[in-house]
Amino acid sequence: VQQPPSPDALVEMMLKVAQARDRQAFALLFRYFGPKLKTFFLRWTMSSLVAEDLVQETMLTVWRKASYFDADRAGVATWIFTVARNIRIDHLRRHRDPSALPPDPETAMDTVEDGMLGAERDAAVRDALTVLSSEQQTIIRLSYFSEKSQTEIADELGIPLGTVKSRTRLAMNRLRALLEDKS
Amino acid sequence: MTTTHHATDETLMRYAAGTLAAAPAIVVKAHLASCPACRARVGEYEALGGALLEETEPTQMSATALNDVLAMLDEEDAPVSFAPPPLAPVEIEGIRLPDALRGCDIGRWRWIGPGMKMSRVGVPQDPDANLILLKVGPGRALPDHGHVGTEFTYIVSGSFSDRFGRFLPGDLAEMDEDVEHQPIVDKDGECICLAAMEGKMRFKNVIGRMLQPIFGI
Ligand SMILES: [Zn+2]
Ligand SMILES: [Zn+2]
Repeated sequence: VQQPPSPDALVEMMLKVAQARDRQAFALLFRYFGPKLKTFFLRWTMSSLVAEDLVQETMLTVWRKASYFDADRAGVATWIFTVARNIRIDHLRRHRDPSALPPDPETAMDTVEDGMLGAERDAAVRDALTVLSSEQQTIIRLSYFSEKSQTEIADELGIPLGTVKSRTRLAMNRLRALLEDKS
Repeated sequence: MTTTHHATDETLMRYAAGTLAAAPAIVVKAHLASCPACRARVGEYEALGGALLEETEPTQMSATALNDVLAMLDEEDAPVSFAPPPLAPVEIEGIRLPDALRGCDIGRWRWIGPGMKMSRVGVPQDPDANLILLKVGPGRALPDHGHVGTEFTYIVSGSFSDRFGRFLPGDLAEMDEDVEHQPIVDKDGECICLAAMEGKMRFKNVIGRMLQPIFGI
């Protein structure tokens, strides 16, 4: 089994793509993130064909907008997540209204002011996630991989809305405490 | 700008996850532009999305996927550079509006009641979006109402008060379903706000019910 690339190695690949238009680095990013992105799109109940299309669109956008990547603001996984998120939203809109305008060219990344570098924060968040209880993790995953509101999540899990709210809040507080420890 | 009323964590997480509908997302984006604290939280929730993506199990891609994309790179032009051209400010009849409204179709002010004007905002990405600008005169009360879904209100200028406190420019009022309230604009000037509804507004009194077809919300 191959070791996943370290956050720093991913940053190096991104910078090679941005500055040197390095296709080998791009291919490495594609091999690592492509299959994960495919699962991401499949979770939104898309067909395998559509999911692959959107992976290609995501990675093409990564290539085009590589110069917008700023390692101080976000780690590579986070940046690629935001690109995929926007591609998914645009896909939904095109689906609903074929005459809709082309996607907003603006990148969605917002400035982050907690003093941590992007790759550090990514690593910290990933560590923090493993500390959460499995119930908390389930709720967080449902919030990111489905359009469901907390009310709908409560229905799906067969638990009261108050429990969903308190589990989410506990998970978020836990996460914030762990992140503040690190920064 | 000192912000005292913020988006809830659930809302910021949905914004970062990309599951907030277009109209509320625009209102939240307006607040983010003036609130470093909420921006930092969105950054954390995006990092959470990144972490979830990385721990996702891979699904095998078709054998040609990588080569197909590499072939597409050949047709790519130069990479997008930094420094996009400066954009004109968004405004309505000379009043500066949040940049989050860029690309939206902003209608003219229409009279909807004494001291009250409304402009309907068209969101190109979502034809069903309920997004409006409201301009209410000093000391005026908005109709007493409850909500079917969450109501998101960003204060552009002026201020209003309701039983939850005083709302100033840059603030975001997020009112849950089953909350009833009656915002009253403070006496020192008119108030302009940007409001998005997830569901319909429920007006209590007769005037409110008469307004409802005009609001269309
Ligand atoms: Zn805020
Ligand atoms: Zn209200």
